Amino acid sequence: MTHNTVKASDYAFTLLRYLTLFGLLGTILIPLAFVISVSFRPPEEFFTSGVYLIPKNPSLEAWEQALRFLVEPLKNSLLIASGTTIVSMLIAVPGAYVFGRKEFPGKDIIYYALFVSLLFPHILLIAPITDIWFEIKLYNTVIGMWLALQVFVIPFMIYILRDYFEKLPQNLEEAAQIYGCTEFTAFVRVVLPIAMPAVVAVAFLAFLIGWNEFLFANMLTSGQGPRPAIVELFLLTQGTSGNVYWGRLMAITLVLGTPPTVLYLFARSYLGQAFNIT
Amino acid sequence: MPPKAAQETDKQSKSSPSTHVLIEDMRKTFDDGSIVACQDINLSINEDEFVVFVGPSGCGKTTTLRCIAGLEIPDSGHVEIQGREVTHLKPKDRDVAFVFQDITLFPHMTVRQNIQFGLDMKTSLSGSEKEEKVREVAQMLGIEELLDRQPSALSGGQQQRVSLGRAMVMDPSAFLLDEPFSALDANLRDRMRIEVKKLQQKLNKSMIFVTHDQEEAMTLGDKIVVMNDGRIQQIGSPYEIYNEPANHFVAQFIGSPSTNLMPCTLEAGRDGISISSGFFELELPPDLADQINGYEGRVDLGVRPEHLELGEDGIFEADIQVVEPHGSRDAVYLTAGDRELVAVVDAGVIPQDRDTIQVDMDIDKIWLFKESGERLL
Amino acid sequence: MLALLLILWLPFTRGIWMSLHEWPVVGERTFIGFDNYEFLLGWDTFYISIKATIIYGLSTVLQLVIALVAALLIVNQKWFKNFTSSLFLLPYTLPPVVSGTVWLYLLDPNFGPILTALTDYGLLENGLFWRSSGDLAITVITLVGAWTFWPFMFIIILATLQSIPEEHYEAAKIYGANRVQRFLKVTLPQLKSAIIVAVTLRTIWNLSKVAQPLQMTGGGPGYDTSVLGILLYRFASDNGRMGLSFAVGIFLLLLTSVFIVVFIRENRRSQQTELK
Repeated sequence: MTHNTVKASDYAFTLLRYLTLFGLLGTILIPLAFVISVSFRPPEEFFTSGVYLIPKNPSLEAWEQALRFLVEPLKNSLLIASGTTIVSMLIAVPGAYVFGRKEFPGKDIIYYALFVSLLFPHILLIAPITDIWFEIKLYNTVIGMWLALQVFVIPFMIYILRDYFEKLPQNLEEAAQIYGCTEFTAFVRVVLPIAMPAVVAVAFLAFLIGWNEFLFANMLTSGQGPRPAIVELFLLTQGTSGNVYWGRLMAITLVLGTPPTVLYLFARSYLGQAFNIT
Repeated sequence: MPPKAAQETDKQSKSSPSTHVLIEDMRKTFDDGSIVACQDINLSINEDEFVVFVGPSGCGKTTTLRCIAGLEIPDSGHVEIQGREVTHLKPKDRDVAFVFQDITLFPHMTVRQNIQFGLDMKTSLSGSEKEEKVREVAQMLGIEELLDRQPSALSGGQQQRVSLGRAMVMDPSAFLLDEPFSALDANLRDRMRIEVKKLQQKLNKSMIFVTHDQEEAMTLGDKIVVMNDGRIQQIGSPYEIYNEPANHFVAQFIGSPSTNLMPCTLEAGRDGISISSGFFELELPPDLADQINGYEGRVDLGVRPEHLELGEDGIFEADIQVVEPHGSRDAVYLTAGDRELVAVVDAGVIPQDRDTIQVDMDIDKIWLFKESGERLL
Repeated sequence: MLALLLILWLPFTRGIWMSLHEWPVVGERTFIGFDNYEFLLGWDTFYISIKATIIYGLSTVLQLVIALVAALLIVNQKWFKNFTSSLFLLPYTLPPVVSGTVWLYLLDPNFGPILTALTDYGLLENGLFWRSSGDLAITVITLVGAWTFWPFMFIIILATLQSIPEEHYEAAKIYGANRVQRFLKVTLPQLKSAIIVAVTLRTIWNLSKVAQPLQMTGGGPGYDTSVLGILLYRFASDNGRMGLSFAVGIFLLLLTSVFIVVFIRENRRSQQTELK
C-alpha cells in the first residue's frame, strides 16, 4: 500500500481514459459548435463550399427570422407545458405521498397499474385518445393537450416522488401530529416543505416533457389550433432538402433546446436518485 | 418552568386521583390480528413517576408507548390520562409529548422554529410569549446558542436535546420517550441519561421511557416495567426487579453479566428436599423447603454471578476459561459439567493462570424457577 | 386516484375495441373482428417494420456501452465531474425533434459539414444520399437515436457507481485484484441491477420512439425505416385508420411486454432487498 509503483501501463491507461473522454465530449461539443456557428451565417453563405467553423460574414438574420417565426408557437408551447405541469402537480404530489407513506387496501395493485403505464408504449394511445378527444371536443384545445399529456407525465412523477417521500424519516408526520397537526396539516406544514426541492425538480421534468412532446401535440392540434413550437419545427424539416435556410433552423433549435436543458440540469440529481437501484 | 401553566396542571391533578396514566386490559395486534404486539397490559403511573419499559426488541414496549401517545389505537382495552378517557383521541388532543428514537426534527426549520412548532399549532400565545417559553426551555437544556441553527448543523446529542425541548415547551402532562438515546455513542448516552433524570426530577412530570438496554432501565427508572412477548413480565423498583425477579425471563434479562441458570431436579429424599444438577447437589434447609410446597421435578436454578463464591472449598469444581477485568471487579467465565457459568469477584482475586477452582453458592441467594418459567423460590 | 387510473386505462380499453373495427377519424365504423390483425400478419411490409423496430431497438446496446464507458471515465474525476457529466447530458436534454433537426443538418448531403468534409478529403465521391438507401437510413436513425438517448443510461449508471463504497475497491486491492479483476468482480456485479433497469427501460422506450426517426426519414425509403411506432402513426395520422393503428400498437405492446415484465421483476426485487 505504501509504495504504489507507477508502471508504464498505468500511464497508457490514463492516456486512453482521457482520449476516450475527449472523444466523447467531441461528439457532443462539435455538433453544438456547428449549430451555433451556422445560426450566425447569412443565407448566401450556405452555397459556399468547404467546412469551417467561424462564419465568414456573421449576421443575425437567421435569429431574426427564427424569433419572428417562433412568437406564436412559443406562446403555445409555454401555455401547454406550464398547464401540464400545474395539472400534473395537483394530482401527482398528493398521489405520490399517499403511495409513499400511507397504507390502504389495494395499494399494491393500484400502484402496479400505474407503474405499468410508466413503461407502456404511450404512442399506442394516440388513436384512442385522438378519437375520444374528437368526440368530447377537446381536439385542438389547450386543455385537451394538458389532459392528454398527463398520461405519461403522472406515472413518471409519481414514480420519482414516491421514492423520495418513502425515504423521508419514518416518524416525521407522527412528530407533527403529537405537536398539534392533523394528518393533512402534517402533510402541508411538514412533509411538503421538506420535499420542496424534489417537488420543484419534478415540476421541471413535467414542464420539459410538455415542452418536448411531439407526437400527441401533432395529433391533437392543427394549424388553426394551439400548435406548439416543436411541431412547427418538425413541419419545417419535412419534405425540404434543397433550399432550406439551415441558419434559421439552427437558431430555432437553439431557442427550443435551451429551456429544457436548463431545467434538466436542475432536476437531474433527483432523477438519478429515483432510478438508483443497487 | 412557566409558572402559569404549572399551576394549571397542579389544579387538575388535585382534582384527579393520584393515578396519572392508566392502562387497562390493553391489546394491540397488527396485520389483521396475526401479530399480537401487546396484550393484557395493565399499568398505572403516578404524577411524578419515571417509568421505564424494558425488554428485547419486538416485546411490545414501543407499541404500548405508541398506544399511550395515540399513534396507535388499541384493539381493546383503554387508556386514561389524568382521569380522562383518551383511547380513541388523536395524538394532538392528548396533552402528551413524544420523543422519537430516530431524530425527527423538521429539517426545514431552525431549532427555534422546531421547538416552537407545537406552540404554533396548538396555542394562541402571542409571539413574545412563545419566544419567552422557547428561551426558557433552551436555557434549561443549554442549547440557547443553537436556536438559530438548522438541525443539520447539530450533533446527534444536540439534536436529541432539541427534541426534548420541543416536548418540554408544551408542558405536557406526560413525556413519552422511545429509545431516545440509542443512536448516540456510549459516553454521550450516559450524560444524556443523567440529564433526563435530573430534568424529570425538576419538572416533576411523569415520564415514560422505552429502552431495550436493561442497564439504562435500571439507572433511570423509579418503576421498571419488564416486557417480553407482548406481555408485562414484572413491574417493580430497580431493586425488586434485580433481587426478586418474578420469573425466569426477568432473572435472565436483567443484570450483566446475566444470571447463571442451571437445569436441576428437585427430589424429596429422606432428609428433606435436595436439588441436584449433573455436577452438584444441595440440601434445601427446612424453612425454604416449606415454601415450595412439595413441588418436585425439573427446575431451573438461578444465581447471580456475584453470589457464586470462588475459593478452595465448594460444592463443585469448575474449569476457568477466561478472567475478564471490569475495573474494580473481574468476571470469571467457568465451565462445570457441560454448563457455562460466570462469576463476578473482586479484581485480582483469581490469578490469570489458574485452571480450576472450587465453587460455592449461598443457598439464601438462589432462585428456583418452574419449567413454565414461574418463580418457585 | 381512481380518476387517474381512468385517464390512463380508459383509452387503452377503448383502443382494443377500436382495433376490432374499421374506424376512420370521421364517418362510418364497421365491425370487422380480427381483420385488422389478420391483415397485418399477412402483410409483407409489416415484417419490414418489425425488422426495422428491432434494429432500431438494438441501439440500446450501443447506448449501454457508451454510457458505461462514460460513467466509468468520470466517476473518479474530482475537478470537472459535474461539469463534464452536465455536458454529457446535453443530447438527452434537447427535445428529440431538435436533435433530429441538428443531425439532419450535419448529415445533409449537400450542405452538411460531415459529408462535405468527407467529399472534400476525397473519401467520398459524391454526397451520400442516405435517405434514399434503406440500409443507410436505418443505420443513421439508429446511430442518431443512440447519440440522443445514451445519457439516460449514463445518469442511472453514474448514480449507482457513486454509491459503491470506496472500501470495496480498497479491499479488492489489498487482496491483489488488478484493474480488470476489480471491474469484473466489484464494479460489474454491483451495477448489475442498474444495468438491467436501464436497459429494459431504454429498450421499451426505444422500441416505441417515433418523433425523431419519423422526422429524419419519414419512415422511408418505402417502409424501410418505418419502425412500428411510425407505422402506427402513419395509419392514424396519414390514413386515418384508427383501428388498424391500434392493432399495430398491440403488436408493439407484445414486443415490449417482455421487457416490462423484466423491469417489474427487477424493481420488486430491489424493493424487497431494501426492506431487509
